[in-house]
Amino acid sequence: MRSTIYNIGYFLKEAKTIFKVDLLSNIFSILSIGLIFFILALVISGWGISNYVIGIIEKEAEINVYFREDMRDPDIIELIKEIESIEGIGKAVFVSQEEAYNRMVEILGSEAAILELFDENPFSPFIEVQIHIEEVDSILEELEKIEEVEHIRDNKRVIDRLQNIVFILKIIGLLAVVAVGISTLVVISHIIRQGIYNNREQINTLELLGAPEFFIGFPFFLEGLFLTIMGGLIASLLLVITIRYGYSQMGIALTFIPLPSKDILTNNMVIFIMASSGVLGAVGSLFGLMSSR
Amino acid sequence: MIEAKGVFLTYGDGTEALKDVNLKIEAGEIVYVTGPSGSGKTSLLKLIMGIEYPTEGYLKVMGQNMVREEASNIRRLRRRMGPVFQEFKLIRGRTALENVVLGMRFLGFPPKMIREEAKTALERVGLGHKAYSLVEKLSWGESQRVAIARAIARKPALILADEPTGNLDLKNALNILEILTSLRDERTSVIITTHATHLIEDVEEGKFVRVDNGIIQVERRGVLAI
Repeated sequence: MRSTIYNIGYFLKEAKTIFKVDLLSNIFSILSIGLIFFILALVISGWGISNYVIGIIEKEAEINVYFREDMRDPDIIELIKEIESIEGIGKAVFVSQEEAYNRMVEILGSEAAILELFDENPFSPFIEVQIHIEEVDSILEELEKIEEVEHIRDNKRVIDRLQNIVFILKIIGLLAVVAVGISTLVVISHIIRQGIYNNREQINTLELLGAPEFFIGFPFFLEGLFLTIMGGLIASLLLVITIRYGYSQMGIALTFIPLPSKDILTNNMVIFIMASSGVLGAVGSLFGLMSSR
Repeated sequence: MIEAKGVFLTYGDGTEALKDVNLKIEAGEIVYVTGPSGSGKTSLLKLIMGIEYPTEGYLKVMGQNMVREEASNIRRLRRRMGPVFQEFKLIRGRTALENVVLGMRFLGFPPKMIREEAKTALERVGLGHKAYSLVEKLSWGESQRVAIARAIARKPALILADEPTGNLDLKNALNILEILTSLRDERTSVIITTHATHLIEDVEEGKFVRVDNGIIQVERRGVLAI
Protein backbone atom coordinates (compact mmCIF):
# COMPACT_ATOMS: atom_id res chain seq x y z
CA MET A 1 0.00 0.00 0.00
CA ARG A 2 2.80 2.36 1.01
CA SER A 3 4.60 1.42 -2.19
CA THR A 4 1.45 2.13 -4.26
CA ILE A 5 1.08 5.58 -2.68
CA TYR A 6 4.78 6.22 -3.31
CA ASN A 7 4.30 5.23 -6.93
CA ILE A 8 1.22 7.41 -7.60
CA GLY A 9 3.42 10.26 -8.82
CA TYR A 10 5.22 7.83 -11.10
CA PHE A 11 1.96 6.39 -12.46
CA LEU A 12 0.64 9.88 -13.26
CA LYS A 13 3.92 10.91 -14.86
CA GLU A 14 3.98 7.70 -16.91
CA ALA A 15 0.38 8.22 -18.03
CA LYS A 16 1.35 11.74 -19.12
CA THR A 17 4.37 10.39 -21.02
CA ILE A 18 2.27 7.71 -22.75
CA PHE A 19 -0.25 10.41 -23.71
CA LYS A 20 2.50 12.64 -25.13
CA VAL A 21 4.12 9.83 -27.13
CA ASP A 22 1.07 9.72 -29.42
CA LEU A 23 -0.20 13.24 -28.78
CA LEU A 24 -2.09 13.99 -31.99
CA SER A 25 -3.80 10.62 -32.11
CA ASN A 26 -4.82 10.98 -28.46
CA ILE A 27 -6.23 14.46 -29.03
CA PHE A 28 -8.35 13.11 -31.89
CA SER A 29 -9.41 10.24 -29.66
CA ILE A 30 -10.58 12.68 -26.99
CA LEU A 31 -12.57 14.61 -29.61
CA SER A 32 -14.09 11.38 -30.97
CA ILE A 33 -15.04 10.20 -27.51
CA GLY A 34 -16.44 13.66 -26.75
CA LEU A 35 -18.62 13.55 -29.87
CA ILE A 36 -19.77 10.00 -29.14
CA PHE A 37 -20.81 11.04 -25.63
CA PHE A 38 -22.43 14.20 -26.99
CA ILE A 39 -24.58 12.16 -29.39
CA LEU A 40 -25.50 9.82 -26.56
CA ALA A 41 -26.35 12.78 -24.34
CA LEU A 42 -28.55 14.28 -27.08
CA VAL A 43 -30.44 11.01 -27.57
CA ILE A 44 -30.92 10.57 -23.83
CA SER A 45 -31.92 14.20 -23.34
CA GLY A 46 -34.45 13.85 -26.18
CA TRP A 47 -35.67 10.65 -24.62
CA GLY A 48 -35.94 12.32 -21.21
CA ILE A 49 -37.81 15.33 -22.57
CA SER A 50 -40.18 13.12 -24.61
CA ASN A 51 -40.84 10.92 -21.59
CA TYR A 52 -41.57 13.99 -19.51
CA VAL A 53 -43.97 15.43 -22.10
CA ILE A 54 -45.67 12.08 -22.68
CA GLY A 55 -45.90 11.58 -18.92
CA ILE A 56 -47.83 14.82 -18.65
CA ILE A 57 -50.02 13.89 -21.61
CA GLU A 58 -50.59 10.48 -20.05
CA LYS A 59 -51.67 12.08 -16.80
CA GLU A 60 -54.20 14.07 -18.76
CA ALA A 61 -55.49 11.08 -20.74
CA GLU A 62 -59.24 10.97 -20.77
CA ILE A 63 -62.06 8.78 -21.95
CA ASN A 64 -65.72 9.71 -22.26
CA VAL A 65 -68.38 7.44 -20.82
CA TYR A 66 -71.93 7.74 -22.23
CA PHE A 67 -74.77 6.41 -20.16
CA ARG A 68 -78.46 5.58 -20.62
CA GLU A 69 -80.43 8.75 -21.39
CA ASP A 70 -83.22 7.87 -18.94
CA MET A 71 -80.90 8.10 -15.94
CA ARG A 72 -81.79 10.66 -13.28
CA ASP A 73 -79.29 12.87 -11.42
CA PRO A 74 -78.96 10.71 -8.27
CA ASP A 75 -78.30 7.67 -10.49
CA ILE A 76 -75.67 9.61 -12.43
CA ILE A 77 -73.94 10.59 -9.16
CA GLU A 78 -73.94 6.92 -8.13
CA LEU A 79 -72.52 5.95 -11.52
CA ILE A 80 -69.71 8.53 -11.16
CA LYS A 81 -68.83 7.08 -7.74
CA GLU A 82 -68.79 3.58 -9.18
CA ILE A 83 -66.53 4.67 -12.03
CA GLU A 84 -64.14 6.46 -9.66
CA SER A 85 -63.77 3.29 -7.61
CA ILE A 86 -62.21 1.45 -10.58
CA GLU A 87 -58.46 1.05 -10.31
CA GLY A 88 -56.48 3.31 -12.64
CA ILE A 89 -59.10 6.03 -12.76
CA GLY A 90 -58.18 9.45 -11.38
CA LYS A 91 -61.25 11.60 -11.55
CA ALA A 92 -64.70 11.38 -13.15
CA VAL A 93 -66.66 14.57 -14.00
CA PHE A 94 -70.17 14.94 -15.34
CA VAL A 95 -70.44 16.97 -18.58
CA SER A 96 -73.95 18.15 -19.31
CA GLN A 97 -75.53 18.32 -22.75
CA GLU A 98 -75.06 22.12 -22.82
CA GLU A 99 -71.43 21.94 -21.81
CA ALA A 100 -70.76 19.32 -24.45
CA TYR A 101 -72.29 21.67 -27.02
CA ASN A 102 -70.24 24.64 -25.80
CA ARG A 103 -67.03 22.61 -25.94
CA MET A 104 -67.69 21.72 -29.54
CA VAL A 105 -68.37 25.38 -30.34
CA GLU A 106 -64.97 26.18 -28.84
CA ILE A 107 -63.25 23.41 -30.83
CA LEU A 108 -64.86 24.37 -34.14
CA GLY A 109 -64.18 28.08 -33.65
CA SER A 110 -65.17 30.05 -36.76
CA GLU A 111 -66.84 26.97 -38.24
CA ALA A 112 -69.17 26.56 -35.25
CA ALA A 113 -72.02 27.96 -37.36
CA ILE A 114 -72.49 24.47 -38.73
CA LEU A 115 -74.03 23.50 -35.36
CA GLU A 116 -76.86 25.97 -36.00
CA LEU A 117 -78.13 23.64 -38.71
CA PHE A 118 -79.39 21.32 -35.94
CA ASP A 119 -82.84 22.00 -34.55
CA GLU A 120 -81.84 20.85 -31.15
CA ASN A 121 -78.61 20.10 -29.27
CA PRO A 122 -77.22 16.99 -30.97
CA PHE A 123 -74.82 16.13 -28.11
CA SER A 124 -75.42 13.79 -25.24
CA PRO A 125 -74.27 14.32 -21.69
CA PHE A 126 -71.35 12.12 -20.64
CA ILE A 127 -68.87 11.46 -17.86
CA GLU A 128 -65.33 12.62 -18.50
CA VAL A 129 -62.91 10.17 -16.91
CA GLN A 130 -59.21 10.80 -16.29
CA ILE A 131 -57.25 7.57 -16.48
CA HIS A 132 -53.74 6.18 -16.09
CA ILE A 133 -52.89 5.39 -19.66
CA GLU A 134 -51.03 2.17 -18.99
CA GLU A 135 -54.19 0.69 -17.43
CA VAL A 136 -56.53 1.62 -20.25
CA ASP A 137 -57.36 -1.97 -21.22
CA SER A 138 -58.42 -3.12 -17.75
CA ILE A 139 -60.37 0.13 -17.21
CA LEU A 140 -62.34 -0.38 -20.43
CA GLU A 141 -63.04 -3.96 -19.43
CA GLU A 142 -64.42 -2.83 -16.06
CA LEU A 143 -66.49 0.00 -17.56
CA GLU A 144 -68.10 -2.32 -20.09
CA LYS A 145 -69.38 -4.45 -17.22
CA ILE A 146 -71.48 -1.55 -15.85
CA GLU A 147 -75.08 -1.89 -17.06
CA GLU A 148 -75.80 1.84 -17.23
CA VAL A 149 -72.88 2.46 -19.55
CA GLU A 150 -74.04 2.54 -23.15
CA HIS A 151 -70.98 3.61 -25.01
CA ILE A 152 -67.36 4.54 -24.33
CA ARG A 153 -65.35 6.89 -26.46
CA ASP A 154 -61.91 5.75 -25.47
CA ASN A 155 -59.60 7.57 -27.89
CA LYS A 156 -57.78 4.26 -27.91
CA ARG A 157 -56.11 4.90 -31.22
CA VAL A 158 -54.56 8.12 -29.91
CA ILE A 159 -53.59 6.47 -26.65
CA ASP A 160 -52.10 3.47 -28.46
CA ARG A 161 -50.10 5.79 -30.70
CA LEU A 162 -48.75 7.61 -27.67
CA GLN A 163 -47.76 4.32 -26.11
CA ASN A 164 -46.05 3.28 -29.36
CA ILE A 165 -44.10 6.55 -29.43
CA VAL A 166 -42.96 5.97 -25.83
CA PHE A 167 -41.94 2.41 -26.70
CA ILE A 168 -40.01 3.44 -29.82
CA LEU A 169 -38.22 6.22 -27.94
CA LYS A 170 -37.26 3.78 -25.22
CA ILE A 171 -35.87 1.32 -27.77
CA ILE A 172 -33.95 4.09 -29.59
CA GLY A 173 -32.54 5.34 -26.29
CA LEU A 174 -31.52 1.84 -25.26
CA LEU A 175 -29.90 1.14 -28.63
CA ALA A 176 -28.06 4.47 -28.46
CA VAL A 177 -26.74 3.66 -24.98
CA VAL A 178 -25.59 0.19 -26.11
CA ALA A 179 -24.04 1.52 -29.35
CA VAL A 180 -22.21 4.34 -27.60
CA GLY A 181 -21.09 2.02 -24.82
CA ILE A 182 -19.63 -0.48 -27.27
CA SER A 183 -18.05 2.26 -29.45
CA THR A 184 -16.40 3.83 -26.43
CA LEU A 185 -15.11 0.48 -25.21
CA VAL A 186 -13.69 -0.32 -28.65
CA VAL A 187 -12.08 3.12 -29.06
CA ILE A 188 -10.57 3.10 -25.57
CA SER A 189 -9.30 -0.46 -25.70
CA HIS A 190 -7.78 0.26 -29.12
CA ILE A 191 -6.02 3.35 -27.76
CA ILE A 192 -4.68 1.37 -24.81
CA ARG A 193 -3.42 -1.38 -27.13
CA GLN A 194 -1.77 1.27 -29.29
CA GLY A 195 -0.14 2.80 -26.22
CA ILE A 196 1.10 -0.61 -25.12
CA TYR A 197 2.50 -1.24 -28.60
CA ASN A 198 4.28 2.13 -28.63
CA ASN A 199 5.81 1.38 -25.23
CA ARG A 200 6.50 -2.30 -25.80
CA GLU A 201 10.25 -1.99 -25.17
CA GLN A 202 9.74 -0.34 -21.79
CA ILE A 203 7.08 -2.89 -20.86
CA ASN A 204 9.38 -5.72 -21.89
CA THR A 205 12.20 -4.30 -19.74
CA LEU A 206 9.91 -3.94 -16.73
CA GLU A 207 8.71 -7.52 -17.20
CA LEU A 208 12.30 -8.74 -17.27
CA LEU A 209 12.97 -6.82 -14.08
CA GLY A 210 10.01 -8.62 -12.49
CA ALA A 211 7.59 -5.68 -12.28
CA PRO A 212 4.07 -6.78 -11.30
CA GLU A 213 1.35 -6.54 -13.94
CA PHE A 214 -0.40 -3.86 -11.90
CA PHE A 215 2.74 -1.70 -11.89
CA ILE A 216 3.13 -2.00 -15.66
CA GLY A 217 -0.54 -1.65 -16.56
CA PHE A 218 -1.78 1.05 -14.19
CA PRO A 219 -0.37 4.05 -16.17
CA PHE A 220 -2.20 2.76 -19.27
CA PHE A 221 -5.37 2.41 -17.22
CA LEU A 222 -4.97 6.03 -16.06
CA GLU A 223 -4.42 7.18 -19.64
CA GLY A 224 -7.66 5.49 -20.77
CA LEU A 225 -9.53 7.03 -17.88
CA PHE A 226 -8.08 10.47 -18.64
CA LEU A 227 -9.09 10.24 -22.32
CA THR A 228 -12.70 9.32 -21.58
CA ILE A 229 -13.08 11.85 -18.79
CA MET A 230 -11.75 14.59 -21.08
CA GLY A 231 -14.17 13.33 -23.76
CA GLY A 232 -16.95 13.44 -21.16
CA LEU A 233 -16.08 17.05 -20.26
CA ILE A 234 -16.19 18.10 -23.92
CA ALA A 235 -19.56 16.35 -24.34
CA SER A 236 -20.90 18.03 -21.18
CA LEU A 237 -19.81 21.44 -22.41
CA LEU A 238 -21.44 20.92 -25.82
CA LEU A 239 -24.58 19.62 -24.16
CA VAL A 240 -24.90 22.61 -21.81
CA ILE A 241 -24.60 24.97 -24.79
CA THR A 242 -27.10 22.91 -26.84
CA ILE A 243 -29.68 22.70 -24.04
CA ARG A 244 -29.45 26.45 -23.39
CA TYR A 245 -29.86 27.24 -27.08
CA GLY A 246 -32.56 24.59 -27.58
CA TYR A 247 -34.65 25.78 -24.63
CA SER A 248 -34.44 29.41 -25.72
CA GLN A 249 -35.65 28.40 -29.21
CA MET A 250 -38.38 26.01 -27.98
CA GLY A 251 -39.54 28.58 -25.43
CA ILE A 252 -40.36 30.89 -28.33
CA ALA A 253 -41.69 28.37 -30.85
CA LEU A 254 -43.46 25.77 -28.66
CA THR A 255 -44.68 27.65 -25.62
CA PHE A 256 -47.59 25.24 -25.12
CA ILE A 257 -45.32 22.18 -24.67
CA PRO A 258 -44.46 21.60 -21.02
CA LEU A 259 -40.67 21.02 -20.80
CA PRO A 260 -38.74 19.68 -17.80
CA SER A 261 -36.65 22.13 -15.79
CA LYS A 262 -33.57 23.16 -17.78
CA ASP A 263 -31.28 23.14 -14.71
CA ILE A 264 -32.42 19.71 -13.54
CA LEU A 265 -32.04 18.27 -17.06
CA THR A 266 -28.56 19.82 -17.47
CA ASN A 267 -27.33 18.67 -14.05
CA ASN A 268 -28.67 15.14 -14.50
CA MET A 269 -27.15 14.81 -17.95
CA VAL A 270 -23.74 16.15 -16.90
CA ILE A 271 -23.66 13.74 -13.95
CA PHE A 272 -24.70 10.89 -16.28
CA ILE A 273 -22.05 11.74 -18.91
CA MET A 274 -19.23 12.08 -16.39
CA ALA A 275 -20.20 8.88 -14.56
CA SER A 276 -20.52 6.98 -17.87
CA SER A 277 -17.18 8.31 -19.11
CA GLY A 278 -15.49 7.18 -15.91
CA VAL A 279 -17.05 3.71 -15.97
CA LEU A 280 -16.56 3.17 -19.72
CA GLY A 281 -12.99 4.51 -19.49
CA ALA A 282 -12.16 2.09 -16.70
CA VAL A 283 -13.80 -0.91 -18.41
CA GLY A 284 -12.33 -0.02 -21.84
CA SER A 285 -8.85 0.33 -20.34
CA LEU A 286 -9.16 -3.04 -18.63
CA PHE A 287 -10.29 -4.63 -21.92
CA GLY A 288 -7.34 -3.03 -23.71
CA LEU A 289 -4.89 -4.28 -21.09
CA MET A 290 -6.33 -7.79 -21.03
CA SER A 291 -6.40 -8.11 -24.81
CA SER A 292 -2.76 -6.98 -25.05
CA ARG A 293 -1.45 -9.77 -22.84
CA MET B 1 21.21 -21.34 -5.82
CA ILE B 2 21.03 -22.81 -9.36
CA GLU B 3 20.77 -26.47 -10.20
CA ALA B 4 20.45 -27.85 -13.74
CA LYS B 5 20.20 -31.57 -14.51
CA GLY B 6 20.10 -32.83 -18.07
CA VAL B 7 18.68 -29.55 -19.37
CA PHE B 8 18.00 -29.20 -23.08
CA LEU B 9 16.74 -26.08 -24.83
CA THR B 10 15.41 -26.40 -28.36
CA TYR B 11 13.83 -23.36 -30.01
CA GLY B 12 10.66 -23.50 -32.06
CA ASP B 13 12.61 -23.54 -35.33
CA GLY B 14 14.42 -26.69 -34.21
CA THR B 15 17.70 -25.04 -33.19
CA GLU B 16 19.26 -26.92 -30.28
CA ALA B 17 20.64 -24.08 -28.16
CA LEU B 18 21.66 -26.14 -25.12
CA LYS B 19 22.27 -29.87 -24.80
CA ASP B 20 22.35 -31.87 -21.60
CA VAL B 21 23.39 -29.04 -19.28
CA ASN B 22 24.41 -30.19 -15.81
CA LEU B 23 25.43 -27.31 -13.58
CA LYS B 24 25.36 -26.29 -9.94
CA ILE B 25 26.00 -22.74 -8.78
CA GLU B 26 26.16 -22.00 -5.07
CA ALA B 27 25.28 -18.74 -3.32
CA GLY B 28 28.22 -16.34 -3.37
CA GLU B 29 29.89 -17.90 -6.42
CA ILE B 30 31.20 -15.96 -9.37
CA VAL B 31 30.73 -17.70 -12.69
CA TYR B 32 32.22 -16.74 -16.03
CA VAL B 33 30.36 -18.19 -19.01
CA THR B 34 32.49 -18.09 -22.13
CA GLY B 35 32.16 -19.26 -25.70
CA PRO B 36 31.91 -17.91 -29.23
CA SER B 37 28.91 -15.91 -30.40
CA GLY B 38 25.86 -18.14 -30.87
CA SER B 39 27.31 -20.90 -28.68
CA GLY B 40 24.41 -20.79 -26.17
CA LYS B 41 25.64 -18.35 -23.47
CA THR B 42 22.68 -16.02 -23.73
CA SER B 43 20.33 -19.01 -23.94
CA LEU B 44 21.69 -20.21 -20.60
CA LEU B 45 20.94 -16.79 -19.03
CA LYS B 46 17.49 -16.81 -20.63
CA LEU B 47 16.77 -20.12 -18.93
CA ILE B 48 17.95 -18.80 -15.58
CA MET B 49 15.77 -15.69 -15.94
CA GLY B 50 12.74 -17.65 -17.07
CA ILE B 51 12.62 -16.00 -20.49
CA GLU B 52 12.87 -19.49 -21.97
CA TYR B 53 11.97 -22.79 -20.36
CA PRO B 54 13.87 -26.10 -20.62
CA THR B 55 12.42 -28.36 -23.29
CA GLU B 56 13.83 -31.27 -21.34
CA GLY B 57 15.48 -31.77 -17.97
CA TYR B 58 15.25 -30.10 -14.59
CA LEU B 59 16.21 -26.54 -13.67
CA LYS B 60 15.78 -24.93 -10.29
CA VAL B 61 16.73 -21.30 -9.60
CA MET B 62 16.67 -20.02 -6.01
CA GLY B 63 14.25 -22.78 -5.11
CA GLN B 64 11.94 -22.10 -8.07
CA ASN B 65 11.21 -24.79 -10.63
CA MET B 66 11.68 -23.18 -14.02
CA VAL B 67 8.63 -24.45 -15.88
CA ARG B 68 6.11 -22.48 -17.95
CA GLU B 69 3.30 -23.28 -15.51
CA GLU B 70 5.08 -21.29 -12.82
CA ALA B 71 5.23 -18.07 -14.89
CA SER B 72 3.71 -15.85 -12.18
CA ASN B 73 6.22 -17.11 -9.58
CA ILE B 74 9.04 -16.60 -12.06
CA ARG B 75 8.10 -12.91 -12.36
CA ARG B 76 8.46 -12.72 -8.57
CA LEU B 77 11.77 -14.59 -8.82
CA ARG B 78 13.11 -11.97 -11.22
CA ARG B 79 12.70 -9.35 -8.49
CA ARG B 80 15.55 -11.12 -6.69
CA MET B 81 17.80 -10.83 -9.73
CA GLY B 82 19.91 -7.97 -11.06
CA PRO B 83 20.09 -8.42 -14.82
CA VAL B 84 22.53 -6.44 -16.96
CA PHE B 85 21.34 -6.90 -20.52
CA GLN B 86 23.59 -7.03 -23.54
CA GLU B 87 21.66 -4.13 -25.10
CA PHE B 88 21.25 -2.45 -21.65
CA LYS B 89 17.45 -2.07 -21.93
CA LEU B 90 17.53 1.40 -20.41
CA ILE B 91 14.36 3.43 -20.73
CA ARG B 92 14.78 6.34 -23.08
CA GLY B 93 13.57 9.80 -22.14
CA ARG B 94 14.53 9.16 -18.51
CA THR B 95 17.66 10.17 -16.62
CA ALA B 96 20.21 7.68 -15.36
CA LEU B 97 18.84 8.11 -11.84
CA GLU B 98 15.23 7.60 -12.97
CA ASN B 99 16.24 4.38 -14.72
CA VAL B 100 17.85 3.04 -11.56
CA VAL B 101 14.91 4.15 -9.40
CA LEU B 102 12.43 2.54 -11.82
CA GLY B 103 14.08 -0.84 -11.34
CA MET B 104 13.52 -0.55 -7.59
CA ARG B 105 10.00 0.89 -7.32
CA PHE B 106 8.19 -2.44 -7.09
CA LEU B 107 10.67 -4.28 -4.88
CA GLY B 108 9.23 -3.18 -1.56
CA PHE B 109 12.10 -0.91 -0.51
CA PRO B 110 11.09 1.85 1.92
CA PRO B 111 10.23 4.84 -0.32
CA LYS B 112 12.68 7.16 1.47
CA MET B 113 15.52 4.75 0.79
CA ILE B 114 14.98 4.23 -2.95
CA ARG B 115 16.48 7.48 -4.23
CA GLU B 116 19.43 7.35 -1.87
CA GLU B 117 20.26 3.75 -2.80
CA ALA B 118 19.95 4.59 -6.49
CA LYS B 119 22.39 7.50 -6.12
CA THR B 120 24.82 5.31 -4.15
CA ALA B 121 24.69 2.66 -6.90
CA LEU B 122 25.45 5.26 -9.57
CA GLU B 123 28.37 6.57 -7.51
CA ARG B 124 29.65 3.03 -7.09
CA VAL B 125 29.93 2.65 -10.87
CA GLY B 126 31.49 6.11 -11.14
CA LEU B 127 28.47 7.85 -12.61
CA GLY B 128 27.30 9.98 -9.69
CA HIS B 129 27.92 13.10 -11.76
CA LYS B 130 25.72 11.80 -14.61
CA ALA B 131 22.71 10.96 -12.42
CA TYR B 132 20.56 13.62 -14.02
CA SER B 133 21.68 13.03 -17.61
CA LEU B 134 19.22 11.51 -20.05
CA VAL B 135 20.35 7.99 -20.91
CA GLU B 136 20.32 8.68 -24.65
CA LYS B 137 23.00 11.31 -24.05
CA LEU B 138 25.36 8.81 -22.41
CA SER B 139 28.18 6.94 -24.13
CA TRP B 140 28.12 3.16 -24.64
CA GLY B 141 30.32 2.55 -21.59
CA GLU B 142 28.31 4.95 -19.43
CA SER B 143 25.04 3.28 -20.45
CA GLN B 144 26.55 -0.07 -19.55
CA ARG B 145 27.41 1.28 -16.11
CA VAL B 146 23.88 2.67 -15.60
CA ALA B 147 22.57 -0.81 -16.36
CA ILE B 148 24.97 -2.22 -13.77
CA ALA B 149 23.92 0.45 -11.25
CA ARG B 150 20.30 -0.56 -11.82
CA ALA B 151 21.22 -4.16 -11.11
CA ILE B 152 23.25 -3.35 -7.97
CA ALA B 153 20.65 -0.99 -6.48
CA ARG B 154 18.09 -3.80 -6.46
CA LYS B 155 20.27 -5.64 -3.90
CA PRO B 156 19.76 -8.91 -5.74
CA ALA B 157 20.76 -12.40 -4.74
CA LEU B 158 21.88 -13.09 -8.30
CA ILE B 159 23.50 -10.72 -10.79
CA LEU B 160 23.34 -11.79 -14.44
CA ALA B 161 25.49 -9.84 -16.87
CA ASP B 162 25.19 -10.72 -20.54
CA GLU B 163 28.28 -9.67 -22.54
CA PRO B 164 28.87 -6.61 -20.36
CA THR B 165 32.21 -5.93 -22.01
CA GLY B 166 30.98 -6.10 -25.58
CA ASN B 167 32.00 -3.10 -27.74
CA LEU B 168 34.13 -1.61 -24.96
CA ASP B 169 37.82 -0.84 -25.21
CA LEU B 170 40.15 -2.88 -23.03
CA LYS B 171 40.40 -0.33 -20.24
CA ASN B 172 36.63 0.13 -19.91
CA ALA B 173 36.01 -3.59 -20.29
CA LEU B 174 38.38 -4.41 -17.43
CA ASN B 175 36.81 -1.66 -15.36
CA ILE B 176 33.32 -3.14 -15.89
CA LEU B 177 34.56 -6.64 -15.01
CA GLU B 178 36.16 -5.29 -11.87
CA ILE B 179 32.91 -3.64 -10.81
CA LEU B 180 30.92 -6.80 -11.47
CA THR B 181 33.31 -9.14 -9.65
CA SER B 182 33.35 -6.78 -6.68
CA LEU B 183 29.58 -7.29 -6.29
CA ARG B 184 30.01 -10.91 -5.25
CA ASP B 185 29.62 -11.52 -1.55
CA GLU B 186 28.37 -14.32 0.69
CA ARG B 187 24.77 -13.87 -0.44
CA THR B 188 25.19 -12.53 -3.96
CA SER B 189 26.22 -14.71 -6.86
CA VAL B 190 27.41 -13.18 -10.12
CA ILE B 191 27.18 -14.78 -13.56
CA ILE B 192 29.00 -13.01 -16.40
CA THR B 193 28.92 -14.13 -20.01
CA THR B 194 31.62 -13.03 -22.41
CA HIS B 195 33.09 -14.14 -25.69
CA ALA B 196 36.25 -12.10 -24.93
CA THR B 197 38.16 -14.88 -23.16
CA HIS B 198 41.35 -12.79 -23.09
CA LEU B 199 39.71 -10.54 -20.52
CA ILE B 200 39.43 -13.35 -17.98
CA GLU B 201 42.63 -15.24 -18.77
CA ASP B 202 44.29 -13.92 -15.65
CA VAL B 203 41.31 -14.33 -13.34
CA GLU B 204 42.37 -16.68 -10.57
CA GLU B 205 39.11 -17.36 -8.79
CA GLY B 206 35.69 -18.48 -9.95
CA LYS B 207 33.80 -21.08 -11.89
CA PHE B 208 34.42 -21.11 -15.63
CA VAL B 209 31.70 -22.47 -17.83
CA ARG B 210 32.70 -23.00 -21.42
CA VAL B 211 29.77 -23.24 -23.83
CA ASP B 212 30.32 -24.54 -27.31
CA ASN B 213 27.59 -25.53 -29.69
CA GLY B 214 25.16 -25.91 -26.79
CA ILE B 215 27.39 -28.20 -24.75
CA ILE B 216 28.97 -26.94 -21.53
CA GLN B 217 32.19 -27.77 -19.73
CA VAL B 218 32.83 -26.53 -16.20
CA GLU B 219 36.22 -25.65 -14.76
CA ARG B 220 37.01 -24.21 -11.37
CA ARG B 221 39.94 -21.99 -10.59
CA GLY B 222 41.28 -21.11 -7.14
CA VAL B 223 39.35 -21.16 -3.90
CA LEU B 224 36.76 -18.49 -3.58
CA ALA B 225 37.36 -16.27 -0.58
CA ILE B 226 33.89 -15.33 0.56
